[in-house]
Amino acid sequence: MTKDTKSLSQLKQAIDNLKQQFDAEAKDDVSSLQNKYLGKKGLTNDLMKGMKDVPKEMRPTAGQLLNELKENLQHQLELLAEKKPLKNTHKIDLTMPGIKLKIGHTHPVSQAMEEIAHIFERIGFTRVRYPEVDWDYYVFESLNMPPSHPARDEWETFFVDTPQHDQMGKMVLTTHTSNGQVREMERLKSKPPIRMINIARCYRRQQDATHTQMFHQFEGLVVDKGINIQHLKGTLDHFAEQFYGPGTKSRIRPFHFQFTEPSFEVDFSCHICHGTGKRGKEKCKFCKSGWHEVGGAGMVHPNVLKAGGIDPEEYTGFAFGWGIERTYTLKEGLNIDDIRLIYSGDLRFLEQF
Amino acid sequence: MNILIPHTWLLEHLETEATPMEIQKYLSLSGPSIERIYQTEGESVYDIEVTTNRVDSMNMRGIAREAAVILNQAGIKTTLKPLRINDQDSLQLTKALPLPKIFNNSEFNKRTIFIVLKNIKRAATPSWMAKRLVQTEMNIHDAAIDITNYVTHDVGHPIHAFDYDKLMNTGGEIHIVEAKKGEKFATLDGEEFETVGGEIVFKNSEGQIIDLPSIKGTANTSIDESTQNVLLLAESIRADKVRFASMTHAIRTTAAQLMEKNIDPHLAKTTILKAVELYQDLCGAEVGSDLYDDFSGESQPIEISISIQKINDYLGLEIDQQEIIKILTDLECEVETQGKGGTAELVVTPPTFRPDLTISVDVVEEVARIYGYHNLPSKLMDTPIPTTYPKNIDFNLENKIKHFLANIGWQEIYSYSLVSEKVALESNYKIMQHLKLQNPLTDDRVYLRRSLLPSLEEIIDTNSQQKKLSVFEIANIYPPQNSDHLPDEKMVLSLVSTKEYRLVRGMLESLLNQLFITNHEIIDHKKTTKPFSQSAEILVEKNIIGTIGVLESGKIGVEIAFTKLLEMTNTHPTYQPIPKSMPIIEDLTFTLPKEIAVGEVITTLKNTDKLITAVELKDIYKKNYTFTINFHDLKRNLSASDIEPIRKSIVKQIEKQHQAKLVGEV
Repeated sequence: MTKDTKSLSQLKQAIDNLKQQFDAEAKDDVSSLQNKYLGKKGLTNDLMKGMKDVPKEMRPTAGQLLNELKENLQHQLELLAEKKPLKNTHKIDLTMPGIKLKIGHTHPVSQAMEEIAHIFERIGFTRVRYPEVDWDYYVFESLNMPPSHPARDEWETFFVDTPQHDQMGKMVLTTHTSNGQVREMERLKSKPPIRMINIARCYRRQQDATHTQMFHQFEGLVVDKGINIQHLKGTLDHFAEQFYGPGTKSRIRPFHFQFTEPSFEVDFSCHICHGTGKRGKEKCKFCKSGWHEVGGAGMVHPNVLKAGGIDPEEYTGFAFGWGIERTYTLKEGLNIDDIRLIYSGDLRFLEQF
Repeated sequence: MNILIPHTWLLEHLETEATPMEIQKYLSLSGPSIERIYQTEGESVYDIEVTTNRVDSMNMRGIAREAAVILNQAGIKTTLKPLRINDQDSLQLTKALPLPKIFNNSEFNKRTIFIVLKNIKRAATPSWMAKRLVQTEMNIHDAAIDITNYVTHDVGHPIHAFDYDKLMNTGGEIHIVEAKKGEKFATLDGEEFETVGGEIVFKNSEGQIIDLPSIKGTANTSIDESTQNVLLLAESIRADKVRFASMTHAIRTTAAQLMEKNIDPHLAKTTILKAVELYQDLCGAEVGSDLYDDFSGESQPIEISISIQKINDYLGLEIDQQEIIKILTDLECEVETQGKGGTAELVVTPPTFRPDLTISVDVVEEVARIYGYHNLPSKLMDTPIPTTYPKNIDFNLENKIKHFLANIGWQEIYSYSLVSEKVALESNYKIMQHLKLQNPLTDDRVYLRRSLLPSLEEIIDTNSQQKKLSVFEIANIYPPQNSDHLPDEKMVLSLVSTKEYRLVRGMLESLLNQLFITNHEIIDHKKTTKPFSQSAEILVEKNIIGTIGVLESGKIGVEIAFTKLLEMTNTHPTYQPIPKSMPIIEDLTFTLPKEIAVGEVITTLKNTDKLITAVELKDIYKKNYTFTINFHDLKRNLSASDIEPIRKSIVKQIEKQHQAKLVGEV
């Protein structure tokens, strides 16, 4: 062993000794330990002075060892300080503004979907998802829509530019979530009970302040023995109270859809005028005479049950479906007047959610 | 379709004690929806939405008929007044003027009915009629023209007034045929059109188009200022043919909107007779011909059988049989009862104006709505809850990911699944490898996308006011399959950020940790694909789950196949016992040559010894990289002497494999 390496190993030994000493005293007051080991006249600095005994070419290594020691001690002192906090010696100005972390936001449509799904799952509905690009068969044909029905023509529905399928017909972008009806019956091998909630992207060939080419719908389907109109009313009332708040009423009125019979329009009472249609002596401008038309519903048409392999003489069912965007924008105080904003990707809008 | 019904005009058909507010309330609950009541010309005018299947209610008479039944049911005394129209016998029919010859095709047209009126005196529309036209937002011309619109609104069937002399001068023949492609015609307002083929038109003997029936008259046969004799005509062109021609040429007249919904051809005669009466009263017209009526396309009434039990099942309560029969007869159905008690069956024959009633549930609807949906109780199902859940879908996982990303600073986006050609081409696929819409509405929404990254980049670019921006979306992509198959819709999670690579990668790794996916690796691709200019594969247990890289724009992008994530995710970690021993943590700094991948150095470091349990890149200064290395034996505390040989072997390995030198010495 040369003299040089000897002096380095001596230093190493000194460092180890110091560490052991520190460990032994580590229960003392942190600030006094800080002074003793890392202060200007501290023990580490004493060792630093020993550097002059180390040959020049070995000094970088020695320096590194001493630095590591310093860091090590500092680290341990910090750990000790966490256990025994220093006394609060300087006051903090508690009126200073907080520093906020930048967080993101889930999309309002996601928020609405999650809430809607939750409301229905509580009463035994199973959430599902079916294709957004589907065959005419599931979107129209199996839903009792005659070939000449306006919804099936090129002015309202997007068609995919592919050859027609022999049995399934044209490939279309789903205009509603109702394509899930027969698909759900098939998934369950035509064996009720069915309580489905289907939420998906839909597409229609229209664009203005209340319509976007792409939108979202949710669809409920219940099929079993003895399902009647009262059950539909009960389900809608449950949703209205949960989604819009206690006291919100729902009502169904006659309407027409090909795939339900009887068919209903679904209204929820207006939260602005509380269903009266009046604000003071003025007419409520927000709603139509106290109610908002939100969507459609009905008792499942026998032909649809048949298409799903279910005997309409034995089973009945109801279905409902409507747009997420419209349902959501009717929430009290939300005040979104142009649904195109929802898909604009404008962060000034999205960051508010 | 919405229709305007002035209250006083309605009272010509209806005798009722109901106020306009009551009419609005009860009709909306049990029949057509009265959306608003306007005050026009000092009177209430109902704005009523009539559903497409109820074209019988798209007129005054139809609404009155519904109102009579509904208001009586609500306990408000109401009677439908009889329709007072002179019958055919009281017309002084004559053969004074010859009739045009009709060449019909019953495949296209069920009924043709017309009559000639001569010596029409052109007179201003009388003020009572003008007021009603204003209330119903129809234009006012003069009596001879306005009568046709008025009677359509009153009784329900569109009719057209031809200039009799013009019509006879074109040859006196009407051929009801399908147009060929490229035939020209001008509508009565002078606008010119060319047929696409398949429109049903009236042609004369020379093959010229002389009318676009059920939609709009043509200039060559319509009445003008000089018209003296009128031929009033109603026809019953097949509904789908009407819609086709009307939509193709964007001629959306009231007539077209009614005729495309299957109006009862029986109404044609009533409407003509009502019009004749008005022409006589207001224009001093005289009947100049016979009444031509070819109704060879009349269909047979249908019978619908339904059990009382079925009605009660749908309503969930018992309604008295007599009440059911009364509701149906009030709606002008003929009802015959077969059997008694619980098994009683009704045989229902609907009136001709109700072609929408064809099957038993249609009858259920009629009974239920008149009984009143609002009178039914509301309750939840007491049937079993299904428990067969769909496979390969996990909505909770989707929500978890969305919330986690949002909470660490990412903004969720919903962008259009349909993209422009330009955006489609920014993906790694050729335009032919995209599904295309046959009938796009706008140029920017034509192709079904195969990557979300270009859409998200577009969104970042439109939000240029934000310097550092991170956005994500979970949505489908649509790879085409062979033409007998739907696209292979695949959900992907995509992230795009203007933050630096290490931050984005770190957040992605935090997400994977959050999903208890622990063994992931990121391996640099040697080749890169669009839209990346540099990319690496994200692997979990040797399966590629996605790609991370630098996009051509310099942003950082990530795209992950959701199904893979679903396969790899865990609901919980595997618990590792908390070690009794402490790790030794050391920093080592190496000078790395250019072109050396840090990831590979870290792998070498990790693989040097099994006591090395973690390696992190702590700091970079010029070419010097400082790594924090954990040495840890779970069973005992390591001493400095345990570490020394490992440290030496690290330095050796790194130098050998990566030509990198340690800063300082061990």
